Amino acid sequence: MTAELKEPVYLEEKLKDIQDSGRLDFRSGSLPTWCPGCGYYSMTEGVTNSLNELGLKNENVVCVSGIGCASRFPFFVDVYGFHTLHGRTLPVATGIKTANDDLTVVVVGGDGDGFAIGGGHIPHAAKRNVDITYLLFDNGIYGLTKGQTSPTSSMGFKTSTTPYENREQPLKPLMMVLSYGASWVGQAYAGHQHHLAGMIKKAIAHRGFSYLHILSPCVTFDKTDMTYQNMNMAVRPLPEDHDSSDQMAAMIEAGKTDAPGLGVLFEEIRPTLSDNLDAIATSAGADIKAKTAQAAE
Amino acid sequence: MTINGTDLQIAFCGSAGDGTIAVGDILKQAMAMAGYRVIAFDQYPAEIRGFGKCVSRTRVTGEQVYSMKQQTDILVSLDDSHAIPHASEVRDFGAVIYDNAPMSLMMEGEHISGHLQPGQIPYALPIREISERATGSNRGRNMVALGFVAGLYGLQQDVFHTIIARKFKTKPAAVTKDNTAAFDAGFDLGAGEFLFDEVSIGAPPAKAKHEARMLSGNSAVVEGCLDAGIEAYFGYPITPATTIMERLVTEMPKRGKRALQTEDEISAIAATIGAGYAGVRSATATSGPGLALMAEMLGLSVMAEVPSVIFVSQRGGPSTGMPTKTEQSDLNLAVFGGSGDAQRIVLAPTNVEGCWRCAGKAFEMAERYQTPVIVLLDLYLSNRYETVIVSPDERFEASSSKAMVPAKSGEKYQRFAKTDDGISPRAIPGQAGGIHTVTGLEHNDLGRPSDQANIHMDMSEKRHNKLSKAVDHPGITITKRFGDEGDVEVGILAWGSTFGESLEAMMLARDEGIKCAAMKVVMMSPLPEQPISEFMDSANEVLLPELNYEGQFAGIVSGTLGRPVNRLNMVPGTPMRVDDILNEIRRLAGREAKDAA
Ligand SMILES: Cc1ncc(C[n+]2csc(CCOP(=O)(O)OP(=O)(O)O)c2C)c(N)n1
Ligand code: SF4
Ligand SMILES: [Mg+2]
Repeated sequence: MTAELKEPVYLEEKLKDIQDSGRLDFRSGSLPTWCPGCGYYSMTEGVTNSLNELGLKNENVVCVSGIGCASRFPFFVDVYGFHTLHGRTLPVATGIKTANDDLTVVVVGGDGDGFAIGGGHIPHAAKRNVDITYLLFDNGIYGLTKGQTSPTSSMGFKTSTTPYENREQPLKPLMMVLSYGASWVGQAYAGHQHHLAGMIKKAIAHRGFSYLHILSPCVTFDKTDMTYQNMNMAVRPLPEDHDSSDQMAAMIEAGKTDAPGLGVLFEEIRPTLSDNLDAIATSAGADIKAKTAQAAE
Repeated sequence: MTINGTDLQIAFCGSAGDGTIAVGDILKQAMAMAGYRVIAFDQYPAEIRGFGKCVSRTRVTGEQVYSMKQQTDILVSLDDSHAIPHASEVRDFGAVIYDNAPMSLMMEGEHISGHLQPGQIPYALPIREISERATGSNRGRNMVALGFVAGLYGLQQDVFHTIIARKFKTKPAAVTKDNTAAFDAGFDLGAGEFLFDEVSIGAPPAKAKHEARMLSGNSAVVEGCLDAGIEAYFGYPITPATTIMERLVTEMPKRGKRALQTEDEISAIAATIGAGYAGVRSATATSGPGLALMAEMLGLSVMAEVPSVIFVSQRGGPSTGMPTKTEQSDLNLAVFGGSGDAQRIVLAPTNVEGCWRCAGKAFEMAERYQTPVIVLLDLYLSNRYETVIVSPDERFEASSSKAMVPAKSGEKYQRFAKTDDGISPRAIPGQAGGIHTVTGLEHNDLGRPSDQANIHMDMSEKRHNKLSKAVDHPGITITKRFGDEGDVEVGILAWGSTFGESLEAMMLARDEGIKCAAMKVVMMSPLPEQPISEFMDSANEVLLPELNYEGQFAGIVSGTLGRPVNRLNMVPGTPMRVDDILNEIRRLAGREAKDAA
């Protein structure tokens, strides 16, 4: 077979193209420290591109994370960051957003961070409709602490803390957040980078609490279960006629965890926490319009 | 001891539903309006329903005092079964006022008249009958009794009329009319009675230069927060801190500020820290169990150098403990709680005015030193009322932040830059040129995670040293000595609400000829070592009374300064008795202890 001759690609030119496109504007000087092949690499591209495409200024974005491999993310992006405690992303993010509505707040965390230790906070962030974006990276395992079982580990999965296999039924996070009242719910897969990037952009653009569930293989501690190979076979796009304004239809899709449907499961527009706090202030007699006008000056 | 002519303590005692707390409230408002200094502490039953005991004690004085008196001058019984145990509180020639034909039939011994000491003056009145005659109902008994006290001691009738009208202004006009009629009927009766008591109330002191406000410890905290420009509040209800939150969620929205009830205390402080990171003044309030949940977050506030303000009103512990009882047993948790070396500022006001000042100063300090500041109250201080007079010129700094200086082009902003005072210029989200990530991991100047030995050692030192400036923070007295100057036989070191009883005991001891001084300590962490050492040097014996079992502050003082103190610890759930402190002073001074009268 004779190889076809192509125009040579000069790295510097390519780099200049990338730079000019603005795609590097949100990358920090630190390179990610994840294992080669980890699904988390997809978020660096996905988030930085989305922030760029949405035309946001770096200093007006805050990335809040918990503790875990996924939560290392803020160090790799050039925005304000708060690497908080294990499980405490959402209340910290709520505080930030309550203090300053002009900030775009993106929360990043793992499945253990969100649904084990931090599980008590998700219902409240969702019901309050805090205008933040929650990117939950589900690898079905505790990566940072080197491979223990997580609330989303599947039955029969062997980990260092379930050496005889996990006998607990995994949670169904999407059904949970839907019933909690999240106003935007979506699912993506780290192996489908392009789709993931688009979903992150939509999630950030949504006004209200957006929850994006991202299936993301841990190549180091999971060789059998949530591997790229298995996931590539399992995932599917949501049916074309899926009605994202229908919460019950979303519930049904959310329940199909053996064949995860990728896309926007549910979205609705309703007042955010800040809208409600402003309404309270107005009924208490404060002149909120004057306050915002003053702030804008 | 008499203070500037007037010093009268009046206790109303009855069942929930007798209007006991209501008349106590009218009394303190009226006395404050008349220009006296007032301090008052009510006790409610722990249960919401039923006929539990209510006691409302009010001390009316010409000058500011710091505690309730051990002995009551006037006891009013609206329910003898509850009042009998309090009869022994009344001093010689003090008045005991009760109904001579009470609501229900009583056996001998159930009537308070059988429990009076010789020397106490009984006033058996037809309280119910007068109420029925004046208003057509027996529901005015409390007002008749209040009117009687006012008439007997010659208190200003018109001021009471004003306060009664104000209290019931949202109710139908008949309510004010009936309450006033009941009060007046009692007043006329009292004015006609002979006053055996040797103390009568003096004229109010010359009008204070500034307006007097009647505040509880918790409402003073709220005023302090508002005066300091609080922007965000997050809290989870818990006795005895709940009223702080209830007032803030009412008052803050009127000013366009945001207050929110969170799902738990971890979220409350997490959001407080989040808002602090975003650059606004934010706070939360809780009690011991909530503070225990917050401990991990306190460490984050320390490590990430993000300001936060936490009000803690202590109650009986450990665990759920005694929610409606007072105690000082969360000091160790406040000063040391959390993992690692997590130094923070802890302030403990000793009276209601101090609650206001510490609240405002907490925001200044949290911002200036980029650290958590805990303001430690207790149930006794949170719930007691005092007239507070502060000059309107006393204001809190609107901003105390050491702001980021934009980095020169090409240089990266260092959030945790080394500086002489250990305080690094701070950028907040939204500011261009200040982008950085804060973390609970140990980190370098830039905020990048690092576990190198030299970085951890340098940063630990930075976080420790920057707080040492707090003892010189302007506008707040962190220690103060009272009583005899120079060398003394006994020096009392006291903190929090127990300082009030300690001061009272110290003054009584001086009346007995014991050379004595007392020092209040308001800053519990970092410990103001120098003034405390000097005070201890001047005393033959140091006494440290506190309402906890093991002597938590005594442990900190003797551990830090390497010298012993005499501990006086008790956990009755009520304020410490002046007599108990006084006896301990006598003992340490080699005098005979005496039984309480
Ligand atoms: C209070 C507390 N408990 C436990 C830990 C230890 N810890 C750190 S990360 C982690 C689990 C991480 O799993 P996950 O949230 O799924 O994130 P991943 O590493 O998989 O991205 C644990 C248990 C901690 N840091 N803090
Ligand atoms: S341990 Fe797993 S989750 Fe963590 S970085 Fe490596 S591959 Fe990713
Ligand atoms: Mg995980």
